Amino acid sequence: MEFTIIKHYKFTLQKEAPYISYIPQRITSAITGYESLLRLHNDLSSAQKQEIQISFKNVVWLEANLCAILGAIIEELESRGNEVTLVDCERFHEKSDILSRNGFFKHYGVQIPTVREHKTPISYKMFKEKEAVLYNQYIQAELIDNPEFPRHSEGLGKKIKENIYELFENARTHGKCKHIHTCGQFFPTKKKLHITIVDTGDTITENVQRFLKQNLSPSECINWAMQLGNTTKEGDIPGGLGLGLIFEFINMNKGKIQIVSSNGYWELREGIVTKEDLSFSFSGTIANIEFDLSENKMYLLQQEVIDMDSIF
Amino acid sequence: MKTLKIRDLIKVDFAVTTEDGDSVFKTLDHHFQNGEKITLDFSEIAILTTAFLNAAIGQLYSKYTSEDISSYLKLDKISNSDLLLVKTVIQRAKEYFANKEKFEKNTGDAIYGTD
Repeated sequence: MEFTIIKHYKFTLQKEAPYISYIPQRITSAITGYESLLRLHNDLSSAQKQEIQISFKNVVWLEANLCAILGAIIEELESRGNEVTLVDCERFHEKSDILSRNGFFKHYGVQIPTVREHKTPISYKMFKEKEAVLYNQYIQAELIDNPEFPRHSEGLGKKIKENIYELFENARTHGKCKHIHTCGQFFPTKKKLHITIVDTGDTITENVQRFLKQNLSPSECINWAMQLGNTTKEGDIPGGLGLGLIFEFINMNKGKIQIVSSNGYWELREGIVTKEDLSFSFSGTIANIEFDLSENKMYLLQQEVIDMDSIF
Repeated sequence: MKTLKIRDLIKVDFAVTTEDGDSVFKTLDHHFQNGEKITLDFSEIAILTTAFLNAAIGQLYSKYTSEDISSYLKLDKISNSDLLLVKTVIQRAKEYFANKEKFEKNTGDAIYGTD
């Protein structure tokens, strides 16, 4: 009788090293800034069930409100089963404590104590599609009741709030996304308010191309969506006003609005519209608004007297 | 004429979501179907968006004519700037449903032929 002796080897599986993705040196709301973040998003687009570290090692400057885009990128990675951690945060914190002060680092489990107590950041937060009430409370606390919010006329304050809510509602209803990421920043000396709202749902390109049954470029799709009266809504609830009215207000306010959706980029600044198709795509929509809070802006009150009896 | 306060219907002073607008529409529709005329009270509403108004008032044009709505609905305690927004929403709703009707007619003609 022959015996075959089988030697059992105990294999120690080597854990695959995490993939490290480095955030670029400078992230601003210029086209190059968005391209950098979209390139990072693109580099990770095929990652599934991996351990990914997002490193702040090289970052010198990061426009704080744009961390909402990072939040959306992380959400998408996690939806594909990846385990994402932020690393080298302390190194960035030595240069700027803004991502600690606005709660972004803390949201992702990185606790770095901060010293300054100024409430110029509007916290980074993530909202589910059905959390409109929580969003209301967030805007109330972070913006309306914020003592750092520069003095402004009642009319201007109301308009800013309306615009922010229109954007959030637009993201909820058109994006049909799981979460909406938002973050902002006051600049009291420059009298500016920046706010960024990001969703990872259907893009404007998808919605507009589907509706028009035309193959418009992504930036042309955004341009179409920004025109007053244009809507992809079908059904018993009309649409087509939200984005167009924001466009009109920003023009009057001499602020800025940027929309990135798919690889379309659209910007309105000082009355000039810029459209460009970027090299990389974002699977969702980014809206970044800059409001000018200067008191010397004239907001012409509508002098039109509306006849209530014939309004309908 | 019965008065309905939006603040009481939606339980918050931010009239911003499509869902809240839709719930106001359903309430108005229910009263109109029962032949009741309504005054819609906008007091204590801090923020109003087109998303809410499209659903609350714009949607009425999917079911009722201007004359019907004019006969059954009044607006009260609304600022001039909010009234302007309502007027914009109403104009847009009329265009939206006029286009929708045209689209549906064209589609119907294409499928079934003209009479």
